[in-house]
Amino acid sequence: MSAPKNSLKFLLGGNGRPINSSICRSCRKSISSRRQYASTAAAVAEAPESIHSPVTSSSPSTQLAYALRAGVVLSRPPQITRTLTPFEKSFFLYQKRLNERLSLPFTRYFYYRKGTPSEIDYKAKIKSRLTPARDIGRYNPYLDDGWNDEVLVGAQESEPEDVMEKLLGDVEVPVVNKFQGEQEQEKGRGDAVAARPAARETEADRTGDLRSLDRALERTLYLVVRDGKGRWGFPSDVLVGKESLHLAAERILVQTGGINMNTWVVGNAPVGYHEHKYPKYVAKGGVSQIGEKTFFMKARIMAGQANLEGNKLGVEDFQWLAKEEIPKVVDSFYWSQTRNMLSAR
Amino acid sequence: MALPSLRHPAQRSLRKQCHQCISQMNSPRYASTAAAPIDELEQSSFQAPELPSDEANQFDPVGKAKGRRKQLPPSRYQFRPPKYYRGPLAPYQPPPSSDPSSREFVPGPFSLPRMGETYKSTIAQDMMTLSYSHVIPGTPQPAAGQRLRTWDGDSPYFANRPLRAPKGGHVLRPLHKRITFRNVPRLEKITVHSMSTEAGSGDSAYLHVTGMVIQAITNVRVKTHEARTTVQQWGLKKGKYSSVTAEMKGEDMYHFLSKCVDLVMPRIKDWKGVKGSSGDETGNISFGLDPDVVALFPEIEVNYDMYPPKMIPGCHVTVHTTANSDKEARLLLTAFGLPFYGKLIN
Repeated sequence: MSAPKNSLKFLLGGNGRPINSSICRSCRKSISSRRQYASTAAAVAEAPESIHSPVTSSSPSTQLAYALRAGVVLSRPPQITRTLTPFEKSFFLYQKRLNERLSLPFTRYFYYRKGTPSEIDYKAKIKSRLTPARDIGRYNPYLDDGWNDEVLVGAQESEPEDVMEKLLGDVEVPVVNKFQGEQEQEKGRGDAVAARPAARETEADRTGDLRSLDRALERTLYLVVRDGKGRWGFPSDVLVGKESLHLAAERILVQTGGINMNTWVVGNAPVGYHEHKYPKYVAKGGVSQIGEKTFFMKARIMAGQANLEGNKLGVEDFQWLAKEEIPKVVDSFYWSQTRNMLSAR
Repeated sequence: MALPSLRHPAQRSLRKQCHQCISQMNSPRYASTAAAPIDELEQSSFQAPELPSDEANQFDPVGKAKGRRKQLPPSRYQFRPPKYYRGPLAPYQPPPSSDPSSREFVPGPFSLPRMGETYKSTIAQDMMTLSYSHVIPGTPQPAAGQRLRTWDGDSPYFANRPLRAPKGGHVLRPLHKRITFRNVPRLEKITVHSMSTEAGSGDSAYLHVTGMVIQAITNVRVKTHEARTTVQQWGLKKGKYSSVTAEMKGEDMYHFLSKCVDLVMPRIKDWKGVKGSSGDETGNISFGLDPDVVALFPEIEVNYDMYPPKMIPGCHVTVHTTANSDKEARLLLTAFGLPFYGKLIN
């Protein structure tokens, strides 16, 4: 009897080697042991594997199973744009200066009415910086040496901080010849100070406060907790009754971090799982458990902060860590199974 | 058999590459977190050690150019591409539009748009998680059947006829594809369109103002369009220029949308959001902005007096996404901060 063309046996090519090479090793294993995804959740294994088979204490006829757990990967998304690379900085400045060289002259009279204070102000500024663009430094694109648009070593023109200062300085100091060092400031003007954006590095960054949500603003931060045994990991708990992963995730968040967190559990499907085998089978409810599987749900924190007071899961400590800081606290096996569900930035 | 052949030099280098691959796989490497060891990278000027300061201070390209007594020999780079394309057989082919010497070159990008970064770091991942549906790898995909109808009947004229269009219309809607990491919906482009009936009936001043306004708020050159037909009710005459469009992509698109979402829309009075029934069923969603809303754009506000107040136009904005359905497109735009109201269709 030959296998039908869409059957799993056909895919495996008879001798267990898959024809379709897009099947990964773990899936191949699960297909070959004829377990569907749904029945994995039911978590009843048919036979123990020879490598991991520990000394069985119970009778061989008992069913083997995994204990099911739900976990939550609670994250705070990046709050600010990422830091530009040196190449990007110089590329953007190059493009801005090139744009000045290639574009038509600025139509001054369309933006500044003749004889108004703003026009006088504009004239003074263009005299000092030579170009209508406010953030490219002192550079005249229409001169014969307009080709000399590359900045020299150590120049600050391409730095975002310098660009910000120039744009804000343009607002707050109306008539100042900054580039030639001449102070032609008008009386009574120039007192206004434009509000600077908040610093990219916060107090928590400087003090190294790993529990603060205000740290590492340009990275995604993940909540990792330490349980009673001193192990770090994402918050997790056993599934209770017939609750779904989504509901379990919401419950775990409340039971770990308290009600003072505004969170959103993203979607109904897990983003990854962690498998842990027990050194010995554990008999529980008619089945003996080989190990445990933790399915992680993705969640976002919108506001609030974790508070471990009176938590029901025996959590002792928590930290908000970026991706590359997590392997420093969790063990390497846990990290190898969970790292691919975390965002690179 | 296999082992002796490995002694071949090419094979050995292949093996070496494999070893490099394996060593890279073992050590985690992310573009944003840890840089690769320098010796693995290609040589570039960024890795060069910094010049000593006295040597750097002596570098003066303009002074050097001015101090040159003889003129440099003419170079081929002074050649300007011809204004008109002379066809594929012409001896000289113009440079690609990405070349700064090309006549079609447009400089940019000038910045890393915040909204684009938010999409990459947050929105795309959440959308993928939200719309995930599990399929065991290797499961054969159900084949999409013939969606066009055949001609049933005895008529001899049915032979060799092209298939019939779907029922209820002649347009075949795109098939919905499962969302994976390869095809998470993203913004493709934004089109802003504005028609002025007065321009269509002869007064071109309106069209000039419309063009200036749309150009100011979108940062791209507008295209003008002439009326294809005469429409009495709208005052359109065939062949008269009556509307302008601007098409934005990339950086300009993200800047325009964030201006709309962060600066303009919060200031519209009694605005409920974009109508939930908007959209063309294939993931492109449109909304309109009234003249007084267009006047709220910062580029117009900064010199509002310069525009004739009665000539400031309203406009239609169409957001093109790569989503296959309006539902996914709305999900994307909601994540960007665009609210929807009323009955949500498709």
